[in-house]
Order: sequence, then structure tokens, then C-alpha cells
Amino acid sequence: MTNKSNNGFNSWQKSFEKETKKNFSDAKSETDEGIDIKPVYTKDDLENFSFVENNSLPGQWPYTRGPKASMYTNRPWTIRQYAGFSTAEESNEFYKKNLESGQKGLSVAFDLPTHRGYDSDDDLVMGDVGKAGVAIDTVEDMKILFNNIPLDQMSVSMTMNGAVLPVLASFIVAGEEQGVDRSLLSGTIQNDILKEFMVRNTYIYPPEPSMKIVADIIEFTSKEMPKFNSISISGYHMQEAGADNVLELAYTLADGMEYVRAAMSKGLDVDDFAPRLSFFFAIGTDFFMEIAKLRAARTLWAKIMKDFGAKNERSLILRTHCQTSGVSLTEKDPYNNIIRTSYEALSAILGGTQSLHTNSFDEAIALPTDESARIARNTQLILQNETGVTKTVDPLAGSYFVENLTEELSKKAWDIITEIEELGGMTKAVKAGIPKLKIEESATKKQAKVDSGSRVVVGVNKYKNPKEPSVDVRVIDNNRVRDDQIKKIQAIKKSRDTRAVEKALANLTNAAKDETNLLTPCIEAIKLRATVGEVSKALEQVYGRHFAKSLSVSGVYGKHFEGDKDFMKVEKKVIDFENANGRRPRVLVVKIGQDGHDRGAKIVATSFADMGFDVDMGPLFQSPKDVAKDAIENDVHAIGVSTLAAGHKTLVPELMKALSNIDPKSKIIVFVGGIIPEQDYEFLYKNNVSAIFGPGSNIIECAEKVIDLISDNLSKE
Amino acid sequence: MELIENIQKGERAAIAKAITLVESSKDSDQQLSRQLISELIKKPGKSIRIGFSGPPGVGKSTFIESFGSYLVTKNYKLGILAIDPSSQITGGSILGDKTRMVEISKNPNTFIRSTPSRGTLGGISMGTREASIILDAAGYDFIFIETVGVGQSEIVASNLVDIFTLIVGPGSGDELQGIKKGITEYADIFIVNKNDGELKIEASKTAADYKSALSYYKKLDKLEKQVLLVSAIEQTGMKEVIKTINQIVDQNKQKGIFEERRADQLKFWIEEEVKNIIASDITKRLSSKGSISKYSEKVMKNEMSMFEAVETITKDTLK
Repeated sequence: MTNKSNNGFNSWQKSFEKETKKNFSDAKSETDEGIDIKPVYTKDDLENFSFVENNSLPGQWPYTRGPKASMYTNRPWTIRQYAGFSTAEESNEFYKKNLESGQKGLSVAFDLPTHRGYDSDDDLVMGDVGKAGVAIDTVEDMKILFNNIPLDQMSVSMTMNGAVLPVLASFIVAGEEQGVDRSLLSGTIQNDILKEFMVRNTYIYPPEPSMKIVADIIEFTSKEMPKFNSISISGYHMQEAGADNVLELAYTLADGMEYVRAAMSKGLDVDDFAPRLSFFFAIGTDFFMEIAKLRAARTLWAKIMKDFGAKNERSLILRTHCQTSGVSLTEKDPYNNIIRTSYEALSAILGGTQSLHTNSFDEAIALPTDESARIARNTQLILQNETGVTKTVDPLAGSYFVENLTEELSKKAWDIITEIEELGGMTKAVKAGIPKLKIEESATKKQAKVDSGSRVVVGVNKYKNPKEPSVDVRVIDNNRVRDDQIKKIQAIKKSRDTRAVEKALANLTNAAKDETNLLTPCIEAIKLRATVGEVSKALEQVYGRHFAKSLSVSGVYGKHFEGDKDFMKVEKKVIDFENANGRRPRVLVVKIGQDGHDRGAKIVATSFADMGFDVDMGPLFQSPKDVAKDAIENDVHAIGVSTLAAGHKTLVPELMKALSNIDPKSKIIVFVGGIIPEQDYEFLYKNNVSAIFGPGSNIIECAEKVIDLISDNLSKE
Repeated sequence: MELIENIQKGERAAIAKAITLVESSKDSDQQLSRQLISELIKKPGKSIRIGFSGPPGVGKSTFIESFGSYLVTKNYKLGILAIDPSSQITGGSILGDKTRMVEISKNPNTFIRSTPSRGTLGGISMGTREASIILDAAGYDFIFIETVGVGQSEIVASNLVDIFTLIVGPGSGDELQGIKKGITEYADIFIVNKNDGELKIEASKTAADYKSALSYYKKLDKLEKQVLLVSAIEQTGMKEVIKTINQIVDQNKQKGIFEERRADQLKFWIEEEVKNIIASDITKRLSSKGSISKYSEKVMKNEMSMFEAVETITKDTLK
């Protein structure tokens, strides 16, 4: 505050202090981002800005107020719901239904094997086929996916990063076989591999060849697909993994800079491709912070692109898709999620997003049903048609608070971006594992705040619902999906010209050895009905498969609980256990299958260790057999399986079988955490699972339950 | 004991439970553990025990993944004992080595056990020696012992193995001045990792630095130290590592050094055990008599000198 001599302010301050019995200077609340929020903002808070310009207009430098002059007053944002259901046929039905009910764009979710470049018939992916998205093995699946959907009229967004080459190639070939020239295809492919190495882990190749592939796609689309966005630089998954808004903002823009450099290294002029870069942010429950984040993102990107020498105005403008936060959804009292999602959607709109996905309220439990998907879509339709928010561009401009917050966020993010640049850019930082570790640290802090009750989550750690409602969820018959896909692959393999396919794949492998663009030979192979898995393997021969090093934070969780009664109770139980048994309770925390979302597993590992457990961490992408070997060799007391991709019904029984195969007398107990529909609880208990912890579980309570279960189990000797 | 038979049959669960037993701090477990080890030690297997140490961040686990993968393709059976530090504050630990051993952890010819250090000296945990005896009895060809490279650990670790290797990174040659004393005496092989990509030149330079520094030590020690260049990521140089290990083992066996070392290690072990027993016995006596606090009060009040107190307590306790 620069000017407190103001009489009006002084008398306000007096009243404030009288009402609150607090000193004004102490009355601040600190956000996750480390920003102090004051109880009041005034005109003085609009001074000394280095990023935000007070009198700027929408559609003008530095674009804080929006990419376009007219924004929603001319055309509202695009309602773009992300979805994919197991098979191409089901997804196609779902898309057509949505298009009839007012949706303007499509967004495709793929299953994990497709993401990781495995065909559905690969043994490695047994539990993952058709889970969390649609399985694409060949171009035939892609054609079914868009059956009767004219690809020259529909914008299609594809969340694909690992297997970008075969998937984009399949999309192009599917279009061509529908009679649509590739130059008419519109939409976006996510193609953001750096964040995969940070948080989502659905990569295939190591960072450097992966970056080359990104650049190949930018190059190809900039020349041949003028209406297609070559990349969607995503912060979404970072926030989902626990990053605060500054980390999300800074790392996303730093990723963007790295992609710009990669494309420029192919000899492209920055203005050739920059107008087709797009972004993707998460919108969580911190209402004003999220608004400020979108405004700050546009402000910073304009500056960054100017520094890259962009001359075309469109290169300076950040356009973004947003999705409401999945991690803010709770399993407990799930109808609250409709309310959370509504506020988040409003944040995204006030921040000026170009398109939006609103989550279905049951997504903390399972994949959405038709009914929950309808409510999610209607959330946006009501905003567009009933609330009047589309009538004024950037209505919060000039708000002392929001403008100040935009500036603060910009400053903090800029500091981190500068740090990353000094390290030599994001690829290097990612290889060193720094962003991943920072995000995990932030995630652990957030979890500790919820578990300790210093952050309220309604229905979870306060105002709990005494009568939990039961919710109908979508059930997927994973084995049927896999069998169908396998049959389709077999039929295609019989009918295609095998020799031509082999030749095309060999060409692709050779192309990977040179520096030539890989998309063209990929399209050739896909046209001949090579599978996604075959194409991925052809490249793997040259690039290898990437395995991530896993670093862990420690001490971050425990710090929030100094003197906490429940925490100390668990600590004491651990010591008593050690005195009685000669060692500490030992738990193996694993992810099984192709799901790489490891935030939950990491948080459980670090917080259990902080309570004194010995915690074994397994590598990602293990099969049930690998997990059993690991558990038995380390003679752990318990295995904690983290599952978010609906594979638990196949993978957990497999694990049980594998354990007793190695040791028929195995006394290792198994508990499961993650997204598990209540309908599956009985199935899991029948398969000897000892405990199930859903989203929003208090980790201290989990730890206590686990140690009690272990002790009970040992006393049965 | 049925357990012994099952270990000798190579049953995974039996080996694992036996290692739990030797690591246990419970009295009854320790008695069982002594019986077990005395039996197993009667019929030694053919394992070669190799220690791997090095500062954090040089890629020890990645190297072991890479080197181990090479060995299992040659049909060797490989046991790995990895020691992870426990937190000083909470006593808990995160045992994450296996996240970097993706391929070998799946292989049926490996047995990988992580152990929390539980605050023991130099990262060697209680029971590591015994665990290697169990793996030996179970028929593993090589036993790797991976330790956290901090100061004293090399010395303790080197007393458990037949070959001791130190893994270092490119550019570490400068630090050689500071650490050479402890290491050059105990390490048989120096492995310079990260001989790949941009670091290749730096790695070769580091290897040369080590070679020249080590040349001064040849005369003092009976054995020639080896410096090798590898890339764990690209899996290069692995053939040379195993070749060198085999050469050193053969040469040591011929010269009788191999047996001599094992005998020395046995002596060290016995001495250690005796010291441990005496120390814990004396700790018990001291605390039961309460003489420390009694006499330190007297010292505080200037009723006697500190050294008089020490002498009196010692005499009193050893009575």
C-alpha cells in the first residue's frame, strides 16, 4: 500500500480492526501459491505493475483482457466435452447424441494402451483395454469413431501425446477415406509430451526423440493442415497432479517456449506455426485465482512471443481450452461436485476461455453416465443462456483485486520461467526431474492441508453427509471390449497386404534414423492397415522406450502435523509395532497396468514414510506378476494398489493369483486406493482385498487402518 | 530347519523371510538368525560379492539396471541388496531403488531386496552381511551390494564384498583430491558413468584424471586399480566391467588374495560382533547402575575431575 495517509482508508482500517479485533497488517491469508491476499484492495493496488497494463482493451496488447475484441458478445465459448467409451462404436453413438444436444466440438479420450503405443492384443495391457477411453488399434477403429460425422465440418480435439504419430496418421487417413482432404480437417491434437514426463507418464520414447516427434507434427500441420492446431500445451494435468497455479502457469508457458524452439529448429519461421499453438488449463475451486491465471497466461505469452520475434499479431495471442478440476471432485457426498463444477466453469468464463469441458459429478467414482454427462453439459448451457455472462467482455477488468492478482501471478510465474531458462529450458529441467519434484511437493502440501482440516472440503472433512447417497455408475465389461478388439485386429491382419505393411514399417524405422519428417511414412503404414502398436514398435527400434527415474519428496507431509494428535497416534503405533516385531510396518505402494497418474501413489508413499513406515515404491507400468515378485522379495506386510483407470477388476485378482503362485502361504495383505465405484467394493472384498480407500480419504486414517490390519493379520499366526 | 532347505532350493519367499529374520531387531529373531547363518555358512556357495558405492546422483541404480540386464542375458543369477537411507527424523523410509531397476526387477533370475539403513553407520544396514550369505546359499552367482555413498560407508561395505567398485560421474576428478584417501585403499574398480552424449568428453577426461591419480598408489598396494568408462543409459562398457571383475577375481584367487580377504573379513566380523556384544552389555550395566549421572554431578560440583570420574566409572563397571 503506497498511500495510507488517505483519510477514508484510515477510517476504514479502524472500523476493520474494531470489527475483527485484528491488526490490518496481520489480516492476510496466504494462498497455495504463496501470495498474501489482503482483506481489501484499493486503487493504490493498481500501481507499479510490470506486466499488466491498466488501460488495455480486449483483443489488444498485451491481450490480458482476451484474445478477441468482441469475445462472447459475438460468439460464446465452445462447449467441448471430453469423452470416449471403450469402443469406437459406443463413442460414435455418444458423440452423435451430444452433437444433437447442442455441443459444437468433439473431444476424444483414448484408452491407456493406445496412449502408450500398445495394441489391444498385447499381454502387457490386459487390464487396460477400453478403460478410460476408446481403443484404437487401426484406422478401421478411427473410421468407426467418426462414422456419419462429417470431418470437414466438425472440429475434433484428440488427447494424445505418446502415440501421436499413428493416431494423427489414422485421423488423416480416416478423413481421406471419408472423402475429406487433410487441409480441411480442423481440431487439435494435444501433442504435449513434456508434461507427460512431469506428471501424466503416458510417454513412449525418451525426451529428445519425443521432442523431435512434436516438432515433426508442428512442421507437417503448418504446411498441410492449416485449420488444425498442432499442439495443445497443457497445464491441466499439472494442477491435477497437485501443482499450484503459479507452477501450472510457469511450467506450461515454459513448455510452450520449448516447443517454439523445437519448431524453429526445423527451419520454420515463428509466424508459420505460432498462430496454431493452443493451450489447455485446469480450473480449480480457487475462484479469483483461476480467473487471474488465464489473464496472466495471455499477458505473459504475448511478451514471450514478442521476444521470439513474432510479427504476426495472431502469434502473440494465447488461446486456450479449459476443463474444470477433476481432482476437486469428491467421492463423498458426490452431488456437491455439480456445485463445485459450476463455480469452476464460471471462473473459466470470467477468465475468458475459448472452449470448456465441465466434468460430470460422478467422475470421482467412475466414467460418466449419459445422465451425469447431460448435467455437466447443461452447466454450460445455463451459463450461456440464462446468466447473462456473455453480454460483457472481461467484466472483471479494473477490479482492484483481480488486476492485482493477475500482476502478482504473472510476476511469480515469470521468476520460475526465468529459472528454467537459466537451466537450459524445459527438456533439460524435465530430464533432471525438477518440475516433477516441485509438483509433488506442492501436491503433498495440499493433501496435508485437507487431512489436517486446515482446508475445508465440504462433505469430506467437514459438514459430512450422515446419509451418503448411492449413485448409479457406468459399468464396463473390459474383457468383452478386449476380445472384440482382438478379433478386429486378427481380421485386419488376415486381409491386409502383409508384405507391403512390413515394407512400410521398415521405411518408418529408417526414417527415424534420418532427420526426415516421420508423419508421411506413418500415414503410408497406417493406410496399409499397420496397427498403432506396430508403428510404435517400428520407432521404438531406433528410440527405445523411456523409463522414468522416480524421485520422492519427504518430510513435506509430516511438517503439517507437528503436535497433531491423530498423527502422533499413528507414529506411536509404528514404534510399538517395531518393538513387537523387530521391524517397521513395511508397505509396497504400486500402480499396476498402463495408468501413469501417480500423484495418489506418491502422496501415500511420502506421507506413510513421514509417519514412520518403511515404504517400497514400485516402478510404473508393472504387471501384477512383477508386483507380486517385488512384494515377496521384500517381504512386505502389505501392498497398496493405486488405481484410477478402472482396471482394478482385472488387475487385482491377477495380483492375488500371482502372489499365491510364488508363495502359496503368502500373508501379504492388499489394500486398494483411487477411483473405485461402490458397486465394485464387494467384488474386491470377495477377492481378499483388506481395505478400500476412495478419493478424499484422510491419509492418517488410512495409515492407522493399514497398521491395524497388518497387526491383526500377524497375530493370526 | 525347513527354512534352510527352502533357501537352498532357491524359493523366493523363503529367502525373503530369512532376510527379514537377519534384519530383525527382535531378540528371538536374532537367535534364530544366528542358528540359520551358522548352518548356511557351513556350505558356502559360489557367489562373487560386488559392492557398488558412489555419491548420490551418479546413477548407481541405473548402472545396476544396465549392468544387471547384461548379466541376466548371459544367464547369470543375480541377487541385489540395496540400502536406502531412513529418515533421521521420522525413522521411516522410501525404498525407491526398484523404480530405477525396471527390467531386471521383472527377470526371474534376479532377487532384489531393498533395506532401510535405520541410522546405522555408513549406510550398511544390520544384516547385510547375513543377507549375502543367504543369497549365496540360494545359488546366486553374483551378489550386488549397493550403498549410499557417504563417507564411511565405503570402508564398511568393502568389508562385505570380494570386489569393491566406486561409481563416479563425469567431472568428479576434481573431488578426487579430497576423497582419495579412503577410496583408493578400498576400491578395486572405478566406474565413470554417463559416458554418453554431451558428457562424453568430460567422462573420458575424468577417467584419465582417475588413472593418473591412481598411478601413485600402485606401489603402496599389491593390486592394480582399474578405471572403466560406461554409459548406463546406452548400456555401453558393460562387457568390460564383467571382464575386469572376472580378471580381478581370477588373479586374486591365484595370488591367494581372494581367500586372504575373506579371512580378514571374517576376523573383522568376529571383532565387530564381540565389540557389539560387549558394548551392549556395558550400556546395560551403565544404565542399571546410574553411575554416569551420579559422577557427572560430582564433576559439575567440582568434587572430582572429569578424568577421575571416567576412571572410577570404568573400574566400577568392568568389575
